[in-house]
Amino acid sequence: MMKLAVVETKLLTREPGALFSLLIPLFILVVFGSSIQPGDTVLLPMALAIAVGMVGLYLLPTTLATYRERGILRRLSATPVRPGNLLVVQLILQLILAVTACGLLLAVAGTVLGAHLPTGVLSAVLVFLLGTASLFAIGLLIAALAPNGRAANGIGVLLYFPMAYLAGLMQPKDQMPAMVARIGEYTPLGAFGQSMREIWAGAAPSPLLLGVLAGYALVVSIAAAKFFRWE
Amino acid sequence: MAVIEVTDLRKSYADLNVLDGVSFSVEEGEIFGILGPNGTGKTTTVECVEGLRRPDSGSIRIFGLDPVKDARKVRELIGVQLQQTQLPETIKVWEALDLYASFYADPRDWRELLEEWGLADKRNARFGKLSGGQKQRLFIALALVGNPKVAFLDELTTGLDPQARRTTWELVKRVRASGVTVVLVSHFMDEVEELCDRVAVFNRGKVVAVDTPAGLVGGEHRMRFTLMAGDASGVAGLEDLPEVIEVSREGNRVVVTGRGDFATAVTAHLARHHVLVSDLRIDKRTLDDAFAALTGRSFE
Repeated sequence: MMKLAVVETKLLTREPGALFSLLIPLFILVVFGSSIQPGDTVLLPMALAIAVGMVGLYLLPTTLATYRERGILRRLSATPVRPGNLLVVQLILQLILAVTACGLLLAVAGTVLGAHLPTGVLSAVLVFLLGTASLFAIGLLIAALAPNGRAANGIGVLLYFPMAYLAGLMQPKDQMPAMVARIGEYTPLGAFGQSMREIWAGAAPSPLLLGVLAGYALVVSIAAAKFFRWE
Repeated sequence: MAVIEVTDLRKSYADLNVLDGVSFSVEEGEIFGILGPNGTGKTTTVECVEGLRRPDSGSIRIFGLDPVKDARKVRELIGVQLQQTQLPETIKVWEALDLYASFYADPRDWRELLEEWGLADKRNARFGKLSGGQKQRLFIALALVGNPKVAFLDELTTGLDPQARRTTWELVKRVRASGVTVVLVSHFMDEVEELCDRVAVFNRGKVVAVDTPAGLVGGEHRMRFTLMAGDASGVAGLEDLPEVIEVSREGNRVVVTGRGDFATAVTAHLARHHVLVSDLRIDKRTLDDAFAALTGRSFE
């Protein structure tokens, strides 16, 4: 199991997609960050949501569906090791990647850009975990349903853009139609982004949105487990 | 001693009987062939034995163990090379071997396998950069890294060029020489004839014969020739040769049917009696003929 984790980590570092999910949110942060006011509370939560969304909706499902497509899960089930171990290792690694991406954003935004960092650390961690869980669950469902790695990649991208729009990550929420913005708040990425903004604004995250995130995480991961195929 | 015993295996998918009562046993130390056209249940059978699929009914014993109930124990004892399996593009050869070695309680030293399988200079190469033959050698090495008692090799040489196929055959012989029993799934007659001690011939989800390749081909061969001088006196004694079954003659044309090494006996006899012949031709039966005779259909 340890060796599996080491090898999978090496493979992840060789994956260009992993580097992109670290760099793209950072790039967005730096480009838009050059024009923000000190103490800005909007840009950083947005970049965080983009980072977690990219890992969950794009990298995770593509990796898992490719492993199934290439028969790697099946080959593993012919050894004394259960292929489930590989899924667990992947989930942990992708979680570490999401944490790393967010850590990088916080570090850069907090130091160079002088953006606001929230004081409610505990609630920020809670929102991060719930948001990551719900987005990873969607990633797992994509991996379960996609016939191969390329399809998973395509579905991930197709889902990502409308979800990012609804979540107000593509344009500021106050410029979106009120109805769309309202609906967007209840999408996984939207609820995640909105909860983050609330924390950044110094408020407690709304229990309703936390419930929405937990609900997505639970229901979607059950669906993913139900539809998942090893081969 | 039988290491694998398969009895009356049945499996169907949506009304289609993929396996329709498959039985055979594999002896320790042999190369056992599973031969048949595509879609006759070969791979399904082997995957049931490996514990990757469950049959609807029938029994499988591998070293006396049940591949489903005793899955963990069985997987320590077997090594597999699956059809159409790949590794991650970016994994290095040594990393793959090192990783798979870590899955087993008593693995082989993967550095030895690198040497044995001619992959030492590819040690740090990524899987995606390997040639077809190199990938195939890596898959065999991965099948052996757990120090298995039985290795399952499924359509090992599909997609390889003739030179690489020959090389792979030599490697399979080496696996057996190292004391590992080999179960070889193949739809190539020549491969099975070259490698296998015994063969189970599959057709439409059934085993239609289990025998040595020679035993399957067995039967009769024919030899035809034309008498040059029209002197038939020497031909007369041919029927008395023990290898000859029948001699028929029509003018100067002679057809001799026999079994085993009858061609040598016939030509020696003709030489002894100074009979000159021309247009000598031998029609040897092949596994293809044997398959057609067993199933009433041609192989491909």
